[in-house]
Amino acid sequence: MKTFEEKWTAWLDGQLSGRELSEFEASLPDKAAAQAEKGDVRKLGALLKRELGVSALTNEEFFSHQLRERIRESSVPSAKGEGRGSAWWTVPRLLWVGAASLAVFLVFTIFVMRDKNPAEESQYLTQILNARVDPVVSPNATVSMFEVKQDRVTVLWTEGLQSLPADYAAK
Amino acid sequence: MQTEATLAQADVSELDLVARCQAGDTEAFDELVARYRTRVFGMIYNMVHSEQDAWDLAQDSFLKAWKSIKRFRGRSSFYTWIYRIVMNVTIDWLRKKQVKGGGGEFDDSIQLKEVEPASKTMPKAEALPHEMMERSEIRTRIDDAIAQLSPEQRAVILMKEIEGMQYHEIAEALGCSIGTVMSRLFYARKKLQNLLRDVYENI
Repeated sequence: MKTFEEKWTAWLDGQLSGRELSEFEASLPDKAAAQAEKGDVRKLGALLKRELGVSALTNEEFFSHQLRERIRESSVPSAKGEGRGSAWWTVPRLLWVGAASLAVFLVFTIFVMRDKNPAEESQYLTQILNARVDPVVSPNATVSMFEVKQDRVTVLWTEGLQSLPADYAAK
Repeated sequence: MQTEATLAQADVSELDLVARCQAGDTEAFDELVARYRTRVFGMIYNMVHSEQDAWDLAQDSFLKAWKSIKRFRGRSSFYTWIYRIVMNVTIDWLRKKQVKGGGGEFDDSIQLKEVEPASKTMPKAEALPHEMMERSEIRTRIDDAIAQLSPEQRAVILMKEIEGMQYHEIAEALGCSIGTVMSRLFYARKKLQNLLRDVYENI
């Protein structure tokens, strides 16, 4: 729904037609005054066009020369990296880099967690160490462990054991 | 006015120039600047009433256009697109100047003190001295009247009356609705009619 201002402007500029035009003109209380105002607006438009349409740009070539210089200056830092960087870091690339980084992080985290909590810890090692902490059974015992995971070899070096756990032989 | 055929030819070559600009061809941009620099300068000058400010703002507008030319998708004409940049730059500048001046409504008394003599922009050696003086006075009256409009109203009335742009082109250039354009035009005309009636009645 057009406001009165919109309809009036459209009417002045000859942009109303058909039913819209006839309805608007019928709604005008004083058609003669409206027509006079239409003439006023045309005179105003002609005056503005005549007086303001002559603002010429002097030194056109210098204007272009100055602009070329400014463009050249503004493109220097961007060519050295700023512009290239902003062109490379497009949104799709940022998404891909983000997803790839997340995937690498997850893989690394899983790997580290597995390393910290090995699933197959030696039952034997656990028992020996338990025995070591019992000062009554083996007060001077020391246990050293050498493990080469790559070769799946573990060597336990024990000293000062007075007795072994009862269930050791069974394992 | 251009015929449809010449308009089509101009559009084709203009699109070609734009495509070359988007590939980084500064000579193509130079050609586009040469086509529009006078109109752009004239439009800005009529809004800010200072030759030096108009020059600087036109420079800023074209520089901004160059920097963002890759974002031009051809959905509107280049002419409308560049006018949108020009209007953004100029209206923004007028608003900032108004804030710095500390004024309220757009009576622009500060700007009026800085208005360059109108004779600077008038054609030389075409009119007799008394005619030039008379025209200079008329020009000053018009500049004073336009200075009392808001930046948006100035933009609308100048694009409509001087550039002969259609409502939808003005709306695109200003980033507003056609209804807003018509409404601003309504109030701008009313104000100018009140301020310039004696001028246009006596010509």
